[in-house]
Amino acid sequence: MAIGVFTRAFDNDWIGPGIVSLAAVVGISILQPSFLSPFNIFVLLSAISVNVVIALGQLVIIAIGQMNLALGAIGGLVAICFVGIIELYGVPPVPALLIGLAIGILTGMVSGYTIARTGITAFIITLAGLQIFKGINLGITEAQPFYAVPQSVKDFGNLSMIGPVPWLIVPMVLASVGMWYLLNHLRIGRYILAIGNNPHAAELSGINQRATTTWAHAISGLLAAVAGIMLVAKLQIGQPTIGDDWLISSFAAPVIGGAVLSGGHVSVAGTFFGVVIIAIITQALVLFNIDPYIVQVVLGGLILWAVGINRWRELRVARLQEQGR
Amino acid sequence: MNQTVANPSIAADAPQSPQGRASALTRLLLSNEFGLAVLLLLTFLIFANTLQGFSSTFSLFTIGRQIGINTMIGLAMMAVIVTGGLDLSVGAIGACTAMFFGYLAQALGLPLVFAIPLAIVFGAGLGFINGITVVKSGVHSFIITLASMSIFFGLMIFLTKAQSFNQLPAEVPSFGKWKIGGLVSPLLVISMLMCVVLSLFYRFTTLGRSMLAAGANPKAAELSGIRTGHVITACHVLTGGLAALAGLMLTARTGAAIPSMAGQLGQDWLLPAFLAPVLGGTLLAGGRVSVVGTFLGAAFVQTMTSGLLLMRIGEFWILACLGVMLLLAVLTDKARQSLLRSKGMV
Repeated sequence: MAIGVFTRAFDNDWIGPGIVSLAAVVGISILQPSFLSPFNIFVLLSAISVNVVIALGQLVIIAIGQMNLALGAIGGLVAICFVGIIELYGVPPVPALLIGLAIGILTGMVSGYTIARTGITAFIITLAGLQIFKGINLGITEAQPFYAVPQSVKDFGNLSMIGPVPWLIVPMVLASVGMWYLLNHLRIGRYILAIGNNPHAAELSGINQRATTTWAHAISGLLAAVAGIMLVAKLQIGQPTIGDDWLISSFAAPVIGGAVLSGGHVSVAGTFFGVVIIAIITQALVLFNIDPYIVQVVLGGLILWAVGINRWRELRVARLQEQGR
Repeated sequence: MNQTVANPSIAADAPQSPQGRASALTRLLLSNEFGLAVLLLLTFLIFANTLQGFSSTFSLFTIGRQIGINTMIGLAMMAVIVTGGLDLSVGAIGACTAMFFGYLAQALGLPLVFAIPLAIVFGAGLGFINGITVVKSGVHSFIITLASMSIFFGLMIFLTKAQSFNQLPAEVPSFGKWKIGGLVSPLLVISMLMCVVLSLFYRFTTLGRSMLAAGANPKAAELSGIRTGHVITACHVLTGGLAALAGLMLTARTGAAIPSMAGQLGQDWLLPAFLAPVLGGTLLAGGRVSVVGTFLGAAFVQTMTSGLLLMRIGEFWILACLGVMLLLAVLTDKARQSLLRSKGMV
């Protein structure tokens, strides 16, 4: 019975953030009706779409019990490579997109394989990766942007599909559904969660840790690549600075969504609402003319708040388990 | 009657002693510090003989000054790695402290004798906030300091309106330009003194030893009466204080307190902060520090950076080189450990 209560609480990671998002939308739109204008919804959805893909890139690594500091560096490298090969070699957008995604997967695989093969903590390997990928990015571009973004790509990032719904929402929906399916219904997803939960038990039950870690980082790299290219489409320019500010928000959203940082327990829907909460707060600060710099403070505060709630839930679950026995 | 000859344990020990000394020598030769010192010397000699201008007085002065600052950043991170934790907010603490110092010295016109200690206490206070939050919440320091890095930096930018303090008392920039004996920067001297102090601290004080014990095995430390919570908080306070000092040293070098001096959110300090201790052989899992190694690590990194810059590699590619260096450092460390283990020396 008590166990039932806690499983249900765990199943519904997204309920809390969902209610908060809804309350925030209602509250802000009463105070500031322009919040629900079609244009504002469009802007909000565009930002949410990109940030959900970024957060999912971190989510899959949190699920396996690691962290990926290089996420933004991979995204930035792919973004400038994508525009770079179009500008310098005249590659059409679709092959350029495929090459970009391949670079993302490959860089992710290299980090993942290095972590799995050496057993060195993911923190250090991805910190080195961050520096290497960022260095290559700046070495290639010399900190100057590439401008030759094709019109079709610009349109994708700035036109609406129906009403206030941007085209950018398509990769976001694909990534979310894909990640949900992967974690809940595919063997690789179960392996990732099993390793995150208990690496030793996973090893003993015959799960190939090296392959699983490598693939988890490859998926993370792919999502970073997708997000990088989405940002190119949205900004209409191949900025070398793309990815520089992903670190904090990529952790904030999954943690708000109830992800356990030691691994093994994550929620795709919770992460989605985590991104929504961050986006709404950021927008609200702009709408109410509050200093945008305070966003950083709010983001940090949100992480602490979410960590506190997750910790409290963990302790409560532990107590319930104790009573159950 | 002399009993010692009959003592079996001494008799058993005696034939082993030459072998024991040999392995101590091998251990020294295989130690991180020795390898690094040789590597540092070789790189330095190669650069000095092949690159024009590398060994000019001014170049040596700037390299030394930068080694001083990077050593302090590395020591700040080392102080918290000791317990197996980490602190992503060192850069943010450094930048916040520098701005606080700028506010005290420029806006309030406080004399430096008061402004400098106050600024260091301020940095230690930020470290205390980190430490107490980590200990009380039981959450890993990675996520706590990720949040605090965002909060500290955001508040600092909000309060300063991203304006720098560039009218500091003239002593500050001239301290940064001061060449002792025409060659050595006082910033390098400060860092070397700090290395000596910290070495003594970890070896001879109860608190320093408790930090190492808590890092090596928290449960055993707790059972033997060490209050690990207090010790971990103390580590974060030390980190905050050292990061503050590094921030002040950087302020002296640039001659102004600039909000962006450690990059966005202070992220630019992360690489030097981890590179120096990891190269120097501080274990990321905690329990082992090498203060001398951290200094040698910082010196090696700066020598390489300056050399590569003179070779016109381009400053952006150097970023990538430093990343590769971090990777090689941890891989070598791994290889050395397994070698030592296979020879039964650990």
